[in-house]
Amino acid sequence: MRPMTCFITGATGLLGGEVVARLVSDPGVGTIHALTRSPIVGGSARVVPVGGNMLSDGLGIARSVRNRLAREVTTVVHCAATTSFSQSLDVARTANTKGTRRLLEVTADWPNIRRWVFVSTAFVAGLRTGVIDEADIATGDWANAYEQSKAEAEALVRDAREDWAIARPATVVCDDATGRISQVNAVHRALRLYFSGLAAMLPTAEHSRLDVVTTEYAARGIARLVMARDVERRAFHFCAGNGAMPVGQLLDATYESFLRVPAWRRKGIARPVRTDLETYRMFEAAVEDAGSERVRQAVRSLGHFIPQLAYPKHFDTTGADALLGEAAPDVASYWERMVDTLVAAPAAREVA
Amino acid sequence: MSAAPGIAAITYALPAASPSVRQLAAAGALQSEPEMLERFGFGHVCLAVDETPYDLALSAASALLRENDLDPLSIDALIYGGAPGSIAFSHPRDAADEARGLCDVRRFQYPATRLQFDLGIENASVLGLDQLACTTILGAVRVARALCIAEGLERVLCVSSEFYPAAAGREAITNCTSDAACAVLVERNSSRNRIVAGATVTKGYFWSAASMRDEVMASYFPTAAHVMRRTVAAAGWQPSDVDWVMPHNVSATSWDILFRIAALPNARLYRDNIARIGHTLAGDNFINLRDAADAGVVMAGDKLLLFSYGYGAHWTGLALEA
Repeated sequence: MRPMTCFITGATGLLGGEVVARLVSDPGVGTIHALTRSPIVGGSARVVPVGGNMLSDGLGIARSVRNRLAREVTTVVHCAATTSFSQSLDVARTANTKGTRRLLEVTADWPNIRRWVFVSTAFVAGLRTGVIDEADIATGDWANAYEQSKAEAEALVRDAREDWAIARPATVVCDDATGRISQVNAVHRALRLYFSGLAAMLPTAEHSRLDVVTTEYAARGIARLVMARDVERRAFHFCAGNGAMPVGQLLDATYESFLRVPAWRRKGIARPVRTDLETYRMFEAAVEDAGSERVRQAVRSLGHFIPQLAYPKHFDTTGADALLGEAAPDVASYWERMVDTLVAAPAAREVA
Repeated sequence: MSAAPGIAAITYALPAASPSVRQLAAAGALQSEPEMLERFGFGHVCLAVDETPYDLALSAASALLRENDLDPLSIDALIYGGAPGSIAFSHPRDAADEARGLCDVRRFQYPATRLQFDLGIENASVLGLDQLACTTILGAVRVARALCIAEGLERVLCVSSEFYPAAAGREAITNCTSDAACAVLVERNSSRNRIVAGATVTKGYFWSAASMRDEVMASYFPTAAHVMRRTVAAAGWQPSDVDWVMPHNVSATSWDILFRIAALPNARLYRDNIARIGHTLAGDNFINLRDAADAGVVMAGDKLLLFSYGYGAHWTGLALEA
């Protein structure tokens, strides 16, 4: 069987880069064409940069290159996205929804494609509660524009193709079980706000759990989805699932970590109060009314995703577990190490 | 009910002027928009013009002795907290100038000892409390209770009197402030308002309220809820046992939030004075308790939770059985 030829977007991102690294090491993969605005530094010889970007018509790829890709590519892996939770819907749609539409248009007449993998997010489930099945299709309300734009992009992919497979990772919080953080995102910034004593409350419900994963696990899942048989027209929750962390336990572990910092312990900063969403909204309104700009910004930044905790959900991972032969690592197995890392030193890369 | 230290009497004194929030705004005494402060429940504040803090303290304490027909010589101790030294004897408009007295011999002109003399409570030993801000009177009651138990004192008079200097405006973290004095009598064997328990958390990290405003604001709610729960637990009560919360008169909005997270399912919040007086530094909780008792809304045996926050930073709760 001929090795597959991949066309991947988002290869310079944290998750996309890890996916490329795994595909390169797989003998079943031949050339990997990586859409990029700049040459990929340190890439394998099998990784071929393709100049272009998601925001231009035709992805900004030269016609001659597009023609060659059309002949060669057997697998599309769409990792590119803007993952900020605080962006406006317009901005999120421009990158995530319209970008996906452009990629679908460009690849629509590539005749040799056998699989079109879309990297989405588990949180296309939005504000739904209860068990979220992998077969569920996102509808309804979302906590932020990122979730909505990804849900809309999923719908485009489903409508446009017959060979789609969708990866839905939970939020990535560290590289691997060591707790190393290569890229700071909204979760880390939220933890920093709690560490600095600028966050007073945490909206939760009785059975709220935090579902997050490591880059290593999510990338392994996506790479497996590229290679595996019989995954077409299916979505996979690359989530902690049963290993998600109850919020009470999460707070305990987080503040155990904070307390290991002697200078922090002396400050006597209070643990945030767990409260219902209605009370949290009252607090947000009061801060908008009377808070300083600094506190307003802090509370607004939390408001883009913290309210998710008040919508308890359990991501079913049956398909993902079967695909990988194992479940994701329990969040509790690395959470404290991740928090230790976060409070000990700033990480290198920030996501807006 | 067994006899135990309790609050036998409460009186307070307010200055005559009572401008509205809008009048304060027009006078440039507020940082926030008056509409917002009204939305937060504030209506009027009490503003000392011709009254000194000492005038108010003497007025409140004299009224307490008079109303309860107390022999001044039966007071074993006086605990005073509030405006210090020469400032206590100055009119608000002169406070900045009079503050110079803290740097000369007038520093030793103590309002506490003058109160002892003016009230004729010659048997009272005198203590001064400082640096507890709006929790001063609660701290005084805590000390008074301890004196009753440890030293067998029968009657301890706690007096707090505070004002905002004229240049300081009338707003503290979006709360409208009033000048006032409050007098509280703690008796070793009181038939009412038994002091069941108290709890205080002090966080010195927040010692500079001005520079730590944001952190204080964030820490206020979780620490307040913690102290309220701790006070209830120290009293041996369940949260559902609390009948009334006697608040400090900060924004009604913040109390709406705090009341929800404190989770006292059967408690009512006595909030009538937020609009009428606003936040006095001297003794919101006891002013409210006095008014609630006078209005007949607090019944004998009711379980009361008093809570206040003070710059510095202090969170204090007190559990009383009416």
